[in-house]
Amino acid sequence: MQRRQSSKTPKQPLQGHHKNQTDLSAWCKGGRTDPEKSVENHQTPNSQKNDRQQDSLEQALCYFEKLQDRVSLKKNSVLQQHLATVESIALQRGLPPEGFDVLLNVALSGKFADTVNTCLLKSLVPASVIPESSIISSVSWLCVGKCSGNIQLLFLKWLITVFDFIDHKEQIHALYGFFFSFLQDEKMCPYVCHLLYLLTRKENGESIQWCEMEYYFGMQSHLQALLSLYKLFCPELVTITLPGKMKTYFKNSEGPWKAAINAIRRRSQGNSPLSQPLFLGTAQPQSRKRKWNTQLFIPASSTNRNNLEQDSGKNHVDLYSANKSFPVEQLQTFPQLLENIHHLEFPSQMGSVLTNPLLLHYMNCIKDESVYLRLNYWMGQTLQEECTWCVADNQYEDEFKDFLETVYKTECFLQEGFSSCEEFLYKSLPLWDGFCCRSQILRLVSWIPLGNFSEMKSHLYDPLAQLFFTSSLYFKCSVLESLKELLQNWLNWHVIHLDSASDSQVCSLNTTLSGLVNVVAELIQFVGWISTVALRLENNPTFLLYFILDFYETVCDMYLRYSLPLLIMPPAGVFYPALLSMDSVSLNQLCYIMYRYRTNLVAAKENEQSKKKILQFKFSSQTYQEYNQYIIAMVGCLWTSTAFQKDIHPQGLRMDEELLKKTAMQELKTSFNIVYHPAMMGYAVLFLQQVMGWANIWGKKWNWYLEYLYTQGLKGLKLFIESSINRVSQASRSKAGNTQA
Amino acid sequence: MANCNGYVLLVKWIPLPSYLAKLGNVLSFSRIATSLPLPSEGDHLRPRIDLIVFMIDIKSKYSLRNVEASLAYVDASFFLGKVCFLVTGVGRLNCCSVEMSAIWKLREVYSSPVLFCELELEGIRVATAQRLLRMLEICAGLIPGVSALYFGSLMSSSANY
Repeated sequence: MQRRQSSKTPKQPLQGHHKNQTDLSAWCKGGRTDPEKSVENHQTPNSQKNDRQQDSLEQALCYFEKLQDRVSLKKNSVLQQHLATVESIALQRGLPPEGFDVLLNVALSGKFADTVNTCLLKSLVPASVIPESSIISSVSWLCVGKCSGNIQLLFLKWLITVFDFIDHKEQIHALYGFFFSFLQDEKMCPYVCHLLYLLTRKENGESIQWCEMEYYFGMQSHLQALLSLYKLFCPELVTITLPGKMKTYFKNSEGPWKAAINAIRRRSQGNSPLSQPLFLGTAQPQSRKRKWNTQLFIPASSTNRNNLEQDSGKNHVDLYSANKSFPVEQLQTFPQLLENIHHLEFPSQMGSVLTNPLLLHYMNCIKDESVYLRLNYWMGQTLQEECTWCVADNQYEDEFKDFLETVYKTECFLQEGFSSCEEFLYKSLPLWDGFCCRSQILRLVSWIPLGNFSEMKSHLYDPLAQLFFTSSLYFKCSVLESLKELLQNWLNWHVIHLDSASDSQVCSLNTTLSGLVNVVAELIQFVGWISTVALRLENNPTFLLYFILDFYETVCDMYLRYSLPLLIMPPAGVFYPALLSMDSVSLNQLCYIMYRYRTNLVAAKENEQSKKKILQFKFSSQTYQEYNQYIIAMVGCLWTSTAFQKDIHPQGLRMDEELLKKTAMQELKTSFNIVYHPAMMGYAVLFLQQVMGWANIWGKKWNWYLEYLYTQGLKGLKLFIESSINRVSQASRSKAGNTQA
Repeated sequence: MANCNGYVLLVKWIPLPSYLAKLGNVLSFSRIATSLPLPSEGDHLRPRIDLIVFMIDIKSKYSLRNVEASLAYVDASFFLGKVCFLVTGVGRLNCCSVEMSAIWKLREVYSSPVLFCELELEGIRVATAQRLLRMLEICAGLIPGVSALYFGSLMSSSANY
């Protein structure tokens, strides 16, 4: 018998010209190691034990096969013993493929009581693969309906969980119609929907059967999921509208199989939490897919090459199968991808796409929405299950961090965010403690797609603000950096889609320019608010100021660089601390920012005046007024020493004469400028030391001093002075300078 | 932090694990009580309390009830920014018996912020203790220009910007 044969010889890859899914084959027999993989080597004493176990399993399977009559569990100790054997071996090492046929037949034929059947079904943990034939026969048992409803449900749950372990799926695809008919059963409906979701290929969409689905009322989430998939494949045939937002359609069926599979995998691969290179099969050099998580199961692409239907010349890629389909494992080079781009068969588990740059290239070029749908669905499930502060076991924090990194890198590659990622963040940020996976979470925040304000406020801005105000300086800076990147990603998105008229991207709202302007404005105002408070809380540290001004460097150039007609000045709580800061870096940055604001405003004004038609957006006079107020303060502080008299900003530096007199400062009217500013004093002293002998800076020495400053790297200052300060008053300035000394 | 004179009062329910004591150790100037009102014997010895932290274990309905009962004994002036809730056990969403909606309701009714913490991990403990310290600094008046009331208004979700 086939079984006996395989028990003596080491496990071979299954016959067939396709390669097996993962290195599961190494699990089965202890003592055999594959030199290419770093699987733990079971020692020789164990192999004896394994042989004994294998014998007892064989006996149990023999017994079940031969059993004809109904046997009661309680009375029959032999049955109990064999059941216990099967259970223990299954949980320890998993069952070999041969065992499934026998056990499924027994469980679904209704010969035994439900307790026995349940026990058997729960032990169906695969060690390597599950033969398709066993599934086919089980489905036929299901159709006959000899077993009870609960057993049927349990079988479906099991089938969904171990779907990726099935070696071939062509015949199962052929049974699509049978599965479809099970939809009518109310209890089975959600699970059947899930199963169909996994099974559906483009060809199925064209069958007429699913049209009947439209008449099922009660749009439950599982039906919605299936319909949305159909809609992707045949949009013209699905007429009802479905909600746009991707939700978690299918409940995660709790079953013992997943935990058992994970446990077996962990045991066989030792305690290395980091990913290892995974080789698929041994004969051919394969594309390396790093399994990003050794305990989360991402099966590699399965290849279904047998009797596949012809893709009738349409110029799009048939995802699941095509004539002469090119299996993804053999994809190694970019030219190969280009050659086979129309025959590419996607892996059945979308997760393996994340680490394969070639597949990501493909995803980028071919705008196939079903790919995104599948990927989002898988990612949503995984994030929800594996989130380390939302599950009971957070020992896998490193792996989860790596996963988040992978997702982030994929988003950077594709230059857009995933909606499932956005949902995950919205769900978990309000509960986040600000510490777990901090840098990964904050980086993922920068890829959140544009959304409407009320959603972002309650899910993103509020939780971030609460964490922001109570956390350390470094956390604050990290948040500011990720918000700056968020802004840049939005602006880049806008620039890219500026010209494309037919925008079919998945963007929930704000495809109009005014919508975009509003959302961006709200983000900038939020950042302005938290920056002001943060500077107050931390007492104006330079480190924080750097990140804040970095953000505003992006903001000031939005009109010219990103063609977004929006100009927002920094709040006074940011401007004045930067202007009066004690170090020259902040001052220099501020000068550069003000210079860019000026350039943008001038360009806007010119556009306004030159264009005959009325522009949709004009900068209001209030913007110009704000800018002017700031400029007066800056020039007053840096050049004319008149800041205390002339600053008209309501939160500015203006002070009454009497108060100024009380300070008993001499030469008040000339003592606050680029020489005496606290940030610049150091340069002035150094300059004077270099030109020894001069006690003061005036006249042409003023120009030399400025040149000296420019050579010290203060480029922003240079740009500001050259653009904003009218040097005609240089003559009067030098006269005033002469009166010193 | 050595010159911080304020004290933080941690109100917890007894069966919370001993990690809580470790949290208290990190916050070296804290007192732990299991419920309010505090016994009146120590009144004259007690320093000024600057921040009250109510700890709620999301796995236990009793801790929520305990906190709700204790809230009644808190002077109204504390709710101007000197009270906060610390919720532990969010990582066990599978077995929580307190609904998140109850927590959000507490936050709204008492206008006090809610912090989340998993006490089992040291890293999170230390990070949360640091956050509580920053709040304490503000509530004790050590940050010039920032009062507890102002800070409380910042932390409420209806803050307008």
